[in-house]
Amino acid sequence: MLGRDGIAGLVCLAASLWLITLTRGLPTPALVPIGPGFYPRIVLSVTAVLSAVLVIADLLARRRPVAGPSGGGERRNYRLVWVTFVIFSGYVAALTVLGYRVATLLFVLLLQVVLDPEWRRHSVRMVVVAAATAYLTYLVFEGYLSVLLPRGRWTGF
Amino acid sequence: MLELLGAAVVNLFELKYLLPLLFGTLAGMIGGALPGVTITMTIILVLPFTFGLDPLQGLAAMTGVYVGGESGGLITACLIGIPGTPSAIATTFDGFPMASKGQPGRAVWLGIWASVIGGLFGAIFLIGATGPLAAFALRFGPWEYFALFILALSMVAGLTEASLLKGLLSGAIGLVITVIGTDPIMAVPRLTLGSEFLQSGFQFLPILIGIFAFAQIMADIEKMGPGRTGEVHAVTAPNLRVSHLKIVGEIVSRPFVLLWSTWIGILIGVLPAIGGSAANIMAYDQAKKFSRHPERFGTGTPEGIIAAESSNNANVAGSLVTIMAFGIPGDAVTAVMLGAMIIHGIQPGPLFISQNPTVAYGIFAAYLLAHPVVLLLAAVGAGFFLRIVVVPKAVLIPVVLVLCVIGAYALNNIMANVWVLLIFGLFGYLLVKLGFPLAPLILGVILGDQIEVNLVRAIMTDSNPWLFLTRPISGTLIALAVISVALALWQHQRAQARLARPVDAEVEF
Repeated sequence: MLGRDGIAGLVCLAASLWLITLTRGLPTPALVPIGPGFYPRIVLSVTAVLSAVLVIADLLARRRPVAGPSGGGERRNYRLVWVTFVIFSGYVAALTVLGYRVATLLFVLLLQVVLDPEWRRHSVRMVVVAAATAYLTYLVFEGYLSVLLPRGRWTGF
Repeated sequence: MLELLGAAVVNLFELKYLLPLLFGTLAGMIGGALPGVTITMTIILVLPFTFGLDPLQGLAAMTGVYVGGESGGLITACLIGIPGTPSAIATTFDGFPMASKGQPGRAVWLGIWASVIGGLFGAIFLIGATGPLAAFALRFGPWEYFALFILALSMVAGLTEASLLKGLLSGAIGLVITVIGTDPIMAVPRLTLGSEFLQSGFQFLPILIGIFAFAQIMADIEKMGPGRTGEVHAVTAPNLRVSHLKIVGEIVSRPFVLLWSTWIGILIGVLPAIGGSAANIMAYDQAKKFSRHPERFGTGTPEGIIAAESSNNANVAGSLVTIMAFGIPGDAVTAVMLGAMIIHGIQPGPLFISQNPTVAYGIFAAYLLAHPVVLLLAAVGAGFFLRIVVVPKAVLIPVVLVLCVIGAYALNNIMANVWVLLIFGLFGYLLVKLGFPLAPLILGVILGDQIEVNLVRAIMTDSNPWLFLTRPISGTLIALAVISVALALWQHQRAQARLARPVDAEVEF
């Protein structure tokens, strides 16, 4: 039975082998000794070998008893991580639809609500932080640093 | 050399350079003081603000962040026992006990003055060694560069705390990322699967932002939840008044600790991608080993603070040497600086000083001046930096993420870079969860193109592969790469054996 390392190694091994097959379609130059596939094949072969060794090392490690700290530790809130990731992905997608200012305002507000368990008590602060972040960053980057921030297809600004 | 340095220092006193340095140092100290916000993250946040500036203004700001960040971390480390940055971890061991015994001012100012003195000793090395090392690197051909980059990668992979195998695999994944896109020989799209998005390859700054900032934030969010908001509750401002003359006297009366720790910091800075946290802990450990009273360490001894703080600031000088002489980032912070230089059309490496003397000596001057700026800011606002830690993470995280997005977007004003940030942020987080070190990956991404170009150049010049081993410098560098991997392997096996010993003992009984 494979562990976490073994599975990671297998995924890397499969990806490396698949990419090596893709390099076969690359052209071979007539005038120079090496072509565009030369270096990727070396790098991918090294990756494949290391991945295979990781899988083997994981299998061997599972046969041996290993002393070490057992389990415990701090409880992790992975649900919050995934919710944050989904909100952040939504923000990135919304930048070109709603425009920087609206998308940023909504993102900062929503993420604060998600991250702060006492969000009802801090609602005024949250609105102020969201509005200030959207407005001040827009002002500094567009006004002074010549960065043209994304415009929204729906909003026009 | 001294004339150029003098001119650069005078030049830096112009308001247009002094202000970015001042704001950069302030941002660094704030970022350094905030637990969970690393110096790398702070410099990533400052990066987009430098795009509209001229190269020296931007690099002065970044140098300020770097120096300020190393010093900012010690304030919270001493006063509340929470290191603001990983490079202030060892400062906590004696800084916090000293502050708890009713000497908060002594603890903080011993740290700040040790940082400044260590940093200034580091400056002597930075200014004196960069030129000769760059001149030495001018003798390098493609074989030597290839070997040097391989040595850098193998050292980073070997020195990571996780397994050597995962470190090497992480570096290899970094190299794989760089082969995606148009190839440098025939300009043919390579491994792009027909996608236009992949055709131009990946720029390393959005990857770096994703991997270091995004993945770090996600790791912080894991620890949040009902009843665990990540907030540090209000700290009452302690009295930080001291006699500065007495504090400096305390430091210089321990010349061995000061100089040895500074030297450790410089050496660790020169080695690629190890960083200030290793310097801080290693210098503390050395100071304890060489001390006549090792039992006093951990109880609030000044030697502990001096060793920890002089080393992490000297480490900055070492990192700057590596990037300026060889074009190899000493750590993640200098990797961002390297990206900023490239954006401004400057290629760091052996020709950097001779081709851009104003910028190079400007960086030296900024490094020198950042130290008195740290003193000034600490004198004015140590209490303020302490209050900064009460900013709730629920407020900080969304703002930091917005600045990360702007940083990636503003590189070329395109959304593709923001998607790259998102993809690699997730990828970096998954790698962290799987126990893969990120430093080798990012170094692989940074050096990948250069490794390929130099390998191709070497083979195009002479197809004999043995030249990599028979040319003296190249051969030595490759031998060092092999030795560093072998050494790491030996150390890991020794550690494994030490772990296994209690099990054997149990079996015997």
